[in-house]
Amino acid sequence: MIPMFELKKVEKTFPGVRALKGVDFEIKRGEIVGLVGENGAGKSTLMKVIYGAYQHDGGEVLVDDKPVRFENPRQAMEMGVGMVFQEQSLISNLTVMENIFLGFEQQFVRFGLMDWKHMAEAARFQLAKVKLDIDPATTTSELSFAQRQLVELAKVLTLEERVDGDLVILLDEPTSVLAKEEVELLFKLVRELTERASFIFVSHRMDEVIELSDRIYVMKDGEVVDSLKADDADVDDIQHKMVGRNVDKEYYREEKQKPFNKDQVLVELDGISRASSYKDISLKLHAGEVLCLVGTEGSGREAIIRTIFGLNRPHLGQVSIKGEQVHTFKANEMVDRGVGYIPRERKIEGIVSGMNVYENMTLSQMGRHSRFGVLNLAGEKKLARKWIDRLSIKASSEQADCGNLSGGNQQKVVLAKWRSGGSNIILLDHPTRGLDIGAKEDVYEMVREMSDEGVGVILIADTLEEAIGLSHSILVLKDGEITKRFDCEPGNKPSLYDLVHYMV
Amino acid sequence: MTMDKLKKHFPWITLIALIGLVGIMDPNFLSLTNLIRLAADISTLFIMALGMTFVIYIGGIDLSSQSVANMTTVLATLMLPILGVGAALFCILIGFGFGFVSGFVSTKLKVPSFISTLAVGGIALSLGQYASGQRALYMNAEMRDQAFGWLVGNTAGIPHELIIALVLLALAYFVERRMTIGRALKSIGAGELAAVASGLQVDRFKMFAFALSGAFAAIAGLMFAVKLSGGSPVIANGFLLPAIVAVLVGGTPLTGGVGGVLNTFIGAMIVAVVRTSMLYLEIKATDQQIFFGIVLIVAIALTIDRSKMKTVK
Repeated sequence: MIPMFELKKVEKTFPGVRALKGVDFEIKRGEIVGLVGENGAGKSTLMKVIYGAYQHDGGEVLVDDKPVRFENPRQAMEMGVGMVFQEQSLISNLTVMENIFLGFEQQFVRFGLMDWKHMAEAARFQLAKVKLDIDPATTTSELSFAQRQLVELAKVLTLEERVDGDLVILLDEPTSVLAKEEVELLFKLVRELTERASFIFVSHRMDEVIELSDRIYVMKDGEVVDSLKADDADVDDIQHKMVGRNVDKEYYREEKQKPFNKDQVLVELDGISRASSYKDISLKLHAGEVLCLVGTEGSGREAIIRTIFGLNRPHLGQVSIKGEQVHTFKANEMVDRGVGYIPRERKIEGIVSGMNVYENMTLSQMGRHSRFGVLNLAGEKKLARKWIDRLSIKASSEQADCGNLSGGNQQKVVLAKWRSGGSNIILLDHPTRGLDIGAKEDVYEMVREMSDEGVGVILIADTLEEAIGLSHSILVLKDGEITKRFDCEPGNKPSLYDLVHYMV
Repeated sequence: MTMDKLKKHFPWITLIALIGLVGIMDPNFLSLTNLIRLAADISTLFIMALGMTFVIYIGGIDLSSQSVANMTTVLATLMLPILGVGAALFCILIGFGFGFVSGFVSTKLKVPSFISTLAVGGIALSLGQYASGQRALYMNAEMRDQAFGWLVGNTAGIPHELIIALVLLALAYFVERRMTIGRALKSIGAGELAAVASGLQVDRFKMFAFALSGAFAAIAGLMFAVKLSGGSPVIANGFLLPAIVAVLVGGTPLTGGVGGVLNTFIGAMIVAVVRTSMLYLEIKATDQQIFFGIVLIVAIALTIDRSKMKTVK
């Protein structure tokens, strides 16, 4: 049988990154294909090429054996390729039916006016496909996450009427915000729809991928490293292929996790609340401890970290650093108290591109490297060379522009900035985001080294596995409140499922 | 060599090419005395541009410089009989204060700098008009020579105003390259969010940049007043556009972060050479603004870092 949709040796290059390296990928009629890989493995890029948001710059995209090129998502839709977005692409202040037919309203226009009744009727027909019984005139913001996810699907299913021939529907992390029963419902629906459409299912939850898919593609570093039948797959095996080794204790340096000093409290939050961010948060961070805040996007993790760095203030409650209560919430104040912040947006908030390595490293501690406001350049350079050496930063010299370093090396510069200044409370916000595996391991190694030196780390991890692997303690947050606390001694760590249970 | 690396060298290549071009039209132009005179003539404008560089370096703009300079010519003339040489310090402090207010309005009240400086410039202009009673004022020649005679003379054939301009350049260069303030301003221009996340007191540094710009505008006004032996609230009109052109053509883009005061020196020289060449082409001074307006647009369009701007309104 000829695959209905096929990619042959597809390439995609961005400045400095070869995101897709000769990817072969095929989908047969009625098939559900799983797509897995770590963050940064190239999944999103591949999806974007498939639904027309990116254009491939090498290889071929074939539909029914004919080469095609989608200049934009609309062209892809016209060929039957639709995307169900993970990040909720619905416009929340429009009604459900307006969302479903967004960009395709022309069919309901009569004499220049919108025929709402007709649109509602058509929308009801689409909603019936996903078994969602709601009034199409409901404002979208009133729906639950699960309902919105179904509306997204219904929106894509309008392709059934609009396009002759087969459909390819991409599902990007559709289950991440759903409860267990809702996931089962969605899976049942997807299976029923395979009469008409094929699906590409992207998820971080391996068990779900194996359960739903017929076949699974595993991606790593921009390549498809394996394609296997779901019946033959098991979770450990896939994870092994994703990271190129066992995701085991060794990966997260678990054997180097030592007990922390329970007597030395570095940060204490006592019932702090901040309007529409977090509520009644209490925690203690000890010397040598890695404390991880776990929760979905918007659960309040970032806001808590930003409070500890002095970028926003709590409206209620008390913050103490090393036993002293904090009254002024300003970043420079916190830096003086020994807090260092490694932000998520490395290129925007982490390093200053356009400034060189030593300038970046001393940015937070210029007072230490100057007299009467005059900088001691020789001293700065010496410090930079020492840390380039110590963290094996790959830069041509301390004069190299940080904007031109690789992500991993940029992260090391940011870390060196705080460590060289003697900060012993380090806030890590997604420290491994967008890094390749080697660079990630370097970061894990550095986290362990910091713990050994008595540094307290508050971590927002990129994945749950990372959170579990690295931390001594985990606090699970939901809607700005702590729902559960886990102790994570090596060998006795909570499972993914334990955490997810309290997150959503 | 890539285009990006070449871009850095554009300003001085342009300057040398222009000097060569005018030199072909008139070989006398290339004589040392002529070139020194050329530099001396532009020094007042250059000093104003020098201060403005700090604000543009952090990604802002100062439209008040010309009005602050105007006002200073009036205040300097009025204060000369009272304070003598102390009038200079008085003027600089007033300029610093006006700049600081612009900075405060733009950083604390989050009013974009083009508006805050325009508004503060309006205040300075009115104050100048009020203080002068809408007339041109004249300095007492004796008092002027006694207090500020050193500003106008010559030493070894080099006009003092040029020497002062170069001393200020050296000072500004030192601040920019060797002092924590300069480093902080660079980080703000190149990546303000990273500067914030490094614990820098970004607002303070920004206000200081505006204040410096005001102080330099006041120095420019003072020199102008001494040179013309008097003041008037409109005397420095026509300075603003060429001063901005000097900064931008010199290679400090509106988005900030790169370039600096040395670039502004080259930019000011380019402006000087262009002005002279327009004399050769018999273009009237009043028509020169048309040219500078066009050059400004071209310079901005060529140098701006569009990756830093999400939307332009």
